[in-house]
Amino acid sequence: MSTTERVDDALADRYVAAAVHGLPARQRADIAAELRASIDDQVDARVAAGEEPREAERAVLSALGDPDALAARYEDRPLHLIGPRYYLVWRRLLRMLLAIVVPCAALGVAIGKMLEGASLPELLGAVGSVVVSAAMHVAFWTTLGTALVERHRSSSDDDLPRWSLESLREPEKRTGGLPELIAWLAFLAVAAGAVVWDQVRGWPSPDGPTHALDPSLWPWWTAGLLALLAAEGVLAVLVHVRGGWTMRLAAVNAGLDVVLILGVTWLVVQGRLLAPDLVERLPVEVLDPTTLAVAFGFLVVASAAWDAADSIRRALRA
Amino acid sequence: MDQELLDQHRQELRRGTVVLACLRLLERPGYGYGLLEELAARGFDTDTNTLYPLLRRLEKQGCLTSEWNTDEARPRKFYRTSPTGRALAAALGDEVAAIAAAVAALTQEDGR
Repeated sequence: MSTTERVDDALADRYVAAAVHGLPARQRADIAAELRASIDDQVDARVAAGEEPREAERAVLSALGDPDALAARYEDRPLHLIGPRYYLVWRRLLRMLLAIVVPCAALGVAIGKMLEGASLPELLGAVGSVVVSAAMHVAFWTTLGTALVERHRSSSDDDLPRWSLESLREPEKRTGGLPELIAWLAFLAVAAGAVVWDQVRGWPSPDGPTHALDPSLWPWWTAGLLALLAAEGVLAVLVHVRGGWTMRLAAVNAGLDVVLILGVTWLVVQGRLLAPDLVERLPVEVLDPTTLAVAFGFLVVASAAWDAADSIRRALRA
Repeated sequence: MDQELLDQHRQELRRGTVVLACLRLLERPGYGYGLLEELAARGFDTDTNTLYPLLRRLEKQGCLTSEWNTDEARPRKFYRTSPTGRALAAALGDEVAAIAAAVAALTQEDGR
């Protein structure tokens, strides 16, 4: 029953060295000596019970488990990156930042590329890569920051945003009811009328009728736009009849918005959205034609994207 | 009953009582392995890798004092319950008794 019987002392030495490696220097020797004595005690007990020494040592060390985990327990260090104390804070922060930063970055890059006069594939590539890198940066820095706080936390709770009853969500109305539907249908009708009027008659100006949209869009692009507006109207009626957004209606709505976004983007990139002589004919000196088209295009794209996201959000809540 | 389920809940229930058991047992000075054996014999199964850090923590909190004993061939670190530890053990003991009484009362009401 003595340690000299054992053949593989090096194994226990290596285990102890690994376990105390990360500990503060002044505790290291003490913990190592205690751990070593305990291992020897346990091995001796097993050998006394008839086990083979080498096997006994392996069993004891295996039962102690990962030396890094043991060291963490000695130091009371967390074995998780972000624990229950900060997880919800981290998640809320991450979602909020992703929702704000990523769209802003995408929009900024898209506007920049358009003004540069980049082609559509080039623009989509730039937007795609900025979306990925912005999302990764947001996720990385948020997680790193929270993990650091987790490791250097004070014992007080005061720095945490406390949950309270006031932070419960207000129940959302599923639709705005009949007035909202009528207002929306009226808006669509006025928009359709304005498009037709713009294309067919033009707006009065000192130099004769002025078109806002490129006259070459007539008839097919115009017809497509009118069809989209009509579909939006039908969809609004369906939503009203169903008493709220369903996932299927939201998907159809998002599809319509995507068609609108792609169409408008295409026309802006081709330089065909606004009438070529529009800028010259405007009563005030504004921007150059490209900037005007890009700005107008983005207004349309942003509202369509918002509309799609909002309908999906409402369908999810319903 | 599912054995795994039972073990999981039992382990959870007993986890907190290991501190109390250590404080009581270390009224007489003891060292790691000896304590481990005694805990196991009394039904407080504790893993080695849990017990040692626990002893250190209790020592840091002032509930245990420690001393190296080098009289024998193998030097061992002996722990002993301090007055603070004794007070803590008394409080925890009362708590366990209160829980046992409350649970017993539940069982009785159930039988009516």
